[in-house]
Amino acid sequence: MTDPAAFAPIAMDFDGPGDGRERALALLLLSMADDEFVIGFSDSEWTGIGPILEEDVAISSLAQDELGHAQALYRLLVDVVADGRDPDAWAYDRPPEGYLHARLLDHHRGDWATTIARRYLYDTADAVRLEALAASTHAPLAELVAKIRREERYHLMHVQTWIERLADAGGESRERLLAALAAMGPDAGTVLAPLPAEAAIVRHGIMAEPFAALEERWRDGVGATFRRLGLPGLPVTRDPGTARSGHSDAFRALHAELTMVRRSEAGATW
Amino acid sequence: MPADRAGGAAEPGVLEPWEVFRQEKDGDPMKHGGSVMAPDATLALHYAREMYSRRQESVHLWVVRRSDIHDLADLDLLQPPLDRSFKKPGGYVMRDKLAAAREASGQAKPKANKGQR
Amino acid sequence: MTDPLALDPVLPLRERSALPFNDEALDHGDRYRHFEEHVTGGGKVEATDWMPDEYRTAVLRFVEMHANSELMGVLPEREWIMRAPTLRRKLALTAKVQDEVGHAQLLYRVAEDLGKSREAMIQDLLAGKTKFHNVFHYPTYSWADIGIIAWLVDAAAIVAQQALRDSSYAPYARTMKKICWEESVHIMHGRDVVVTMATGTPAQRESIQEALDRWWGPLMQMHGPRSDRAKDRDLHWRIKAKTSEELRQEFLGIYVPRIRELGLTLPDPELRYDEAEGRWLYGEPDWNELRTVVTNHGPRSEARLQFRRDEWAATQWVRDAILGGPRAAVA
Repeated sequence: MTDPAAFAPIAMDFDGPGDGRERALALLLLSMADDEFVIGFSDSEWTGIGPILEEDVAISSLAQDELGHAQALYRLLVDVVADGRDPDAWAYDRPPEGYLHARLLDHHRGDWATTIARRYLYDTADAVRLEALAASTHAPLAELVAKIRREERYHLMHVQTWIERLADAGGESRERLLAALAAMGPDAGTVLAPLPAEAAIVRHGIMAEPFAALEERWRDGVGATFRRLGLPGLPVTRDPGTARSGHSDAFRALHAELTMVRRSEAGATW
Repeated sequence: MPADRAGGAAEPGVLEPWEVFRQEKDGDPMKHGGSVMAPDATLALHYAREMYSRRQESVHLWVVRRSDIHDLADLDLLQPPLDRSFKKPGGYVMRDKLAAAREASGQAKPKANKGQR
Repeated sequence: MTDPLALDPVLPLRERSALPFNDEALDHGDRYRHFEEHVTGGGKVEATDWMPDEYRTAVLRFVEMHANSELMGVLPEREWIMRAPTLRRKLALTAKVQDEVGHAQLLYRVAEDLGKSREAMIQDLLAGKTKFHNVFHYPTYSWADIGIIAWLVDAAAIVAQQALRDSSYAPYARTMKKICWEESVHIMHGRDVVVTMATGTPAQRESIQEALDRWWGPLMQMHGPRSDRAKDRDLHWRIKAKTSEELRQEFLGIYVPRIRELGLTLPDPELRYDEAEGRWLYGEPDWNELRTVVTNHGPRSEARLQFRRDEWAATQWVRDAILGGPRAAVA
């Protein structure tokens, strides 16, 4: 179970009325939106420097898709929390420790193998999470998830192609992939680590199953692919209590850059 | 083409051109859009999607390895010089003959009737 | 620089066609004459047509520099992709830079079919042997630069690119149609950034004016010095349709009023439209600066090239991996 105290300063600083449904929903939406926001930023670092021009354009589309999903999820969050903050305020106006993305996404952009490994681990976990939200009792979320899943199909096809190529190419390619998986593997499970609000999320039918069930299904799928490609199995999640808190210096540096213009003239319209 | 090339690059170390054909909307013909460089059909399709539909401007794409296209531009075969007017509607000019027939029958020229000949 | 002898056609030539210069039975002089007549008379050339080395080389040089400019033009704006101040701006800027990479791809494809490989073109660019447009040799200092680049640099470029939709080299002309269609949205994005800042806080307004002041010189130089129509080989071959001065006049005619309506000023006291002459008068652009900059001695030329070299080297293993690895089955 993720440590609820880690979420207290920012994520829980809005009042959820009633039986905790709104608060649980908000926590789920914020964690998903932040995941998409941060991976979108990592991917967008490739724009203009991709390994092949055609691939440069492709990774840029993935980045835009993820950022678009983040924007849509922040909108749902705004409707739930309704504290006057708009999606941009949620996306940009929090201190680094206020972000709830999974630690998997805290790693530096890294080389192409790191990017592919991160995308593969995240996309496969996200796909399982989205599946569990397809019939959510929160209708706006179910509707959005249906659209996101249609876009994520391409992401999975793309990353599947690449992880197979990097693994099959042998030599430096495979070594770089192995190094990336070794560095990020222990954090891979953070995407599906239980949220503090998990009991309410499941009780209210926002998500069909608890995170542990999702994680098990995800590990089975990834395990089968990795065995086929001769890659070592994923380790257990390191320090799951801080799966979405205590972010890295790499993220703090990213945060400083992404808020730079916006901070330069607080309250201005851009 | 050698059979062992299926799915692989023509020569190691060289990306190959793949020609991209796109259908802009349902019912339109496939039209040549341009080309992408890719090592195989899977990535060629991914890249065709990026280069020729990232603004949702296509509903259907084909990729064809350029070296699999067979070209015919020989005008002796395509535009033979002798008369083929009997194959085209414009080869049948009967205005004067019809005028003579109408005059003989005493009938006026029929009004244009769309949808009938 | 491109060695014309290295430029073997990569596509099989048409065996015969109605175009007399494709007739292999004719001697070179006759073919050249027929080709010149065809092109100067408004005819189009396809990659599969016979063409004289002079034409092939001229088109290649022109398209290659255009492609290089798209690829290098990515870098000044790319620096701000991570800093865009809202989600929408972030998406728009990412998409714009993506388009420029896409345009580099389209243009390198056109150039590749003229006989020079993409790898060779990129190596020549990285080695400083080929050029890219002056405006991409300058630094960016603020978000306002991003607005000015997307609006005015793209506007100046699109004025030139629209005229290229009639290029005698048909693959290039077709590509320019696609590029112009995609670029129209960039100008809207840039103008929106500029208008938002010009109507924003005093600091934002000051920032936009300051950026405009810095970019105006390079913008006035961008289309190049006035040239003699009769001596311009690219005009002769109808690779391009308009002179530098025609393009600059067109740019000034459309954009000076649009800049001034925002209450922004232009740092050229001599700039005015002369009714009697029917053209814009302006202070002489600094052509020495243009020459210095496009020969890779601009303020950011070497840094940008070095960045490209480093990034290209850092991804070499990826290109090797997808080309040298075991063949994947077709999906």
